[in-house]
Amino acid sequence: MALTTSYYMEAVDTRDLPQRFLEAFAAILAHSNYAPVLDLYARMSTRCGRCAASCPVYEASCDPRDIPCSRSKLLLDVFSRYFTPLGALKARFGTPFTLTEAHINTLAEELYRCTACRRCKLECPLGIDHAMITHLGRWVLAEIGIVPKALKVAVREQLDGKTHNTSAIPEAALRDTCEFLTDDCRDTWGMKIEFPIDREGSEYVFFPAVSDYLLEPDTLMGNAAVLTATNASWTIGSKYFDGINYGLFYSDRMLDRILQQEVAEVRRLGARKILIGECGHASRSAKFFARTFGGGRDAPEVVNIMEYTLKALREGRLALKPGVIGERLTYHDPCNLARSGWVVDQPREILRAVCSDFVDMTPRGRENYCCGGGGGSVSIDEIRKFRTLVGGKTKAEQIRRTGATVVVAPCANCKKQLREVCEDNGLKDVRVVGLHDLLLPALQPPASMRAEKPAAGDAAKGA
Amino acid sequence: MDAWITLARGPIFRISLAVCVLGLLYRVGVACYSLLRAWRNAGDRVLPIRAIARATLDWVLPRRLLRARPLYSIASFAFHVGILAVPLFLAGHVALVRQDVSIPWPTLPPLAADALTLVALAAVAGVVLGRALTPESRALTQTQDVVVLVLLFGVLAAGFLASHPVLAPFDARALLLVHVLLGDLVLVLTPLTKIVHCVLFPFMQLAGEIGWHFPAESGRHVALALGKEGERV
Repeated sequence: MALTTSYYMEAVDTRDLPQRFLEAFAAILAHSNYAPVLDLYARMSTRCGRCAASCPVYEASCDPRDIPCSRSKLLLDVFSRYFTPLGALKARFGTPFTLTEAHINTLAEELYRCTACRRCKLECPLGIDHAMITHLGRWVLAEIGIVPKALKVAVREQLDGKTHNTSAIPEAALRDTCEFLTDDCRDTWGMKIEFPIDREGSEYVFFPAVSDYLLEPDTLMGNAAVLTATNASWTIGSKYFDGINYGLFYSDRMLDRILQQEVAEVRRLGARKILIGECGHASRSAKFFARTFGGGRDAPEVVNIMEYTLKALREGRLALKPGVIGERLTYHDPCNLARSGWVVDQPREILRAVCSDFVDMTPRGRENYCCGGGGGSVSIDEIRKFRTLVGGKTKAEQIRRTGATVVVAPCANCKKQLREVCEDNGLKDVRVVGLHDLLLPALQPPASMRAEKPAAGDAAKGA
Repeated sequence: MDAWITLARGPIFRISLAVCVLGLLYRVGVACYSLLRAWRNAGDRVLPIRAIARATLDWVLPRRLLRARPLYSIASFAFHVGILAVPLFLAGHVALVRQDVSIPWPTLPPLAADALTLVALAAVAGVVLGRALTPESRALTQTQDVVVLVLLFGVLAAGFLASHPVLAPFDARALLLVHVLLGDLVLVLTPLTKIVHCVLFPFMQLAGEIGWHFPAESGRHVALALGKEGERV
C-alpha cells in the first residue's frame, strides 16, 4: 500500500512499516524524556473536548479529526498498546488495537494538520501539551522516512549541503547581498549601515531566518540600522548564518544537529551571544534548546532582536520619531515567541513609539491565534489552500476586525503565511511587514550614520 | 441485610480503601521517580517553576474556566467540588474512618452536606449533559468516561436517599448497601482509571515542561539505536 498524504514526500520504504515505526518509537522513548509524560497523558486524558474551543484549525474545519485530543489519541493509542503493561495485558485478553500501515498513514496526515501552536495547552485543564505529542509523533514518522519533502530538502542542504543554509545561499552571495543592502539603505533611507562579517570577539552573532536575505531586505536593513545606530558589537558568521531550524518541526535529532552548527559558529568567532532576527521558530529553537544541545550552562545566551531593540530604546541609545507611521497597524504574535510569554510586550512598546494608530487583535499575546502556517506547514506549498482557508481563517477574521492596513509579523514564516492568508481571504489592502522594516523611516540616526546622499524616496516609503 | 451492610462497610471497605491508597501512593511514587529521572537526564535542568505553578493553579482555582463553554465548565467545577467535599467531610464517613483510627477531621453540618450532595448530583447530570450535547466532547467520549460518571451518580444518589428514608423509593437499608458497595468500587477503580488525576493532577504541567527538556545526547543515542549514526539527511 502506498502512503497518501496531502504533502509531497520523497519515496518512502513501506516494507514492515508498523514494525519499523515501533522500533523508532521504542528508541525515542528509551533515550528521550517523553515516556513519563506520555504515560501520564494516556492515563489521565479526560477527553473533555475543551481543547477544541481553542484550536484555530478545528474552529475553521469543524471536523472531529482536528480536535487536538482526538489527534493526540492516535499516538497515545500506540503508546498505550505497545509500551505499557496494561496494553500488553489487554492484547492478551481482549480485542487489542493493532498498529497498521493505515494508522501510520492517518498519523502522517493528521500530525501535519496541527500547526503545533500550543494554544490548546492553555485550555486543557490537565495541561496536556498536544503540540508535544505532534512534535514527538512527527519525529517517529521522520525516522521511518515520513517527512514533508519541503522540510527535508531544506534540512539536507543545511546539514549536508555545500552552503549549510536552508536557502542554499553561498558565502559569496551573502557578502554581495550585504553590500547591496548597505547601498540600498544609503540610497533609500540616507543611512550608512554595516553588516560586519566574521568580526571576531563580537558580543553577538546574528542569525536571521536566512530567507530574509532573499525575501525581506527591509527587515534586514532595519535590523542592521538599529545595530549600527546603537554601536552594537555584532557580526554575521560567514561559515554559518542561518537561524532556521526545521528540526523543531519534525525531529529532535535534526534540532540538535542544526543547533550544534549555530553554537559552533558562535564559538569559532569567539562571540558570547546568539542574536536571532525576526523569526519565531528560530528564536524558540535557539532560546529553549541552546542549553540542552549547546553545552549546558556554558551555552551562549540567546537574545531576540526585538529584545535588543527595546533595551536600546529604553536606555536612550536609540532615537525614534514618534508617530511617524500613520496607518492603522496591528501586531501578530508569532506563537513560538509569545506562547511562553517570552516576547509579547517588547514589540508593542517599540511599535507604540513609532505608530499613531496601533490596534491589538483579540485575543493577543500568549493567547494569540496561530497564523495557520506554524509547525513548518508554511513551507509546504502544496497545502496552501488548507493553510490559508482553514488554518489561517481565524487569523484573517482577527485582522479584518482590527481594520488595520498594516500587519506587523516579526517572523519569516508568519509573514509568508499571512501574505497568503490575506490574499486568499479577501484582505487585498493589507500589507504584512516585519517590525524593523518600520524602524527605517522612524530611526533618527546619529550623525555618524547619516549618508552624504539623502534618499529621494524617504517620504514615499515612510508609511 | 444488616450483615451485608456490615460486611460492605467493614472488611470490603477496608480492602477497597487499602487498594485505593496503596494504588495512589504507587502512582505518585512512579510519577515522582520517572519525572525526577527525566529531569536529571535533561541537558537543561532549569525549569520555569513559577510558570508551572501558575498554570497548575489556573485550574485548581476556576480562573480560566469560564473562558470557554461556561455552563459545561461550571457543572464540571461544581462536580469536582462536590465529589471531593461530600465523601471526605460527611459526618457518617468520618465516623467510619474513626472506627479504625482516631484523628481530628472536620465534618460538614448535615444541611450543608445535603445541599452539596444535591449540587454534586445536579453537576454530574450537567457534566453528562455537557458531554452529550457538546459535539466535540461527544466525539471523544469513551466507555470509561460514561461508566465513571454513572457510577459516581449512583453513589451520590443512593447515599442521599439512604440518609433520607422518607424520600427513598424503596428500602433505605438496601440503598445504603448499594451506596457502600458502589463507593467501594469507586475506591478500587480510582488508581486504575482516569480518576487517578485526583492525585496526579499536580504533576501534569511539570511533566509537560520536563518533556521538552531533552537529554543532551537524545538525538545521538536514537541515531545509534536505529543504526543511523553518520547517515546523511
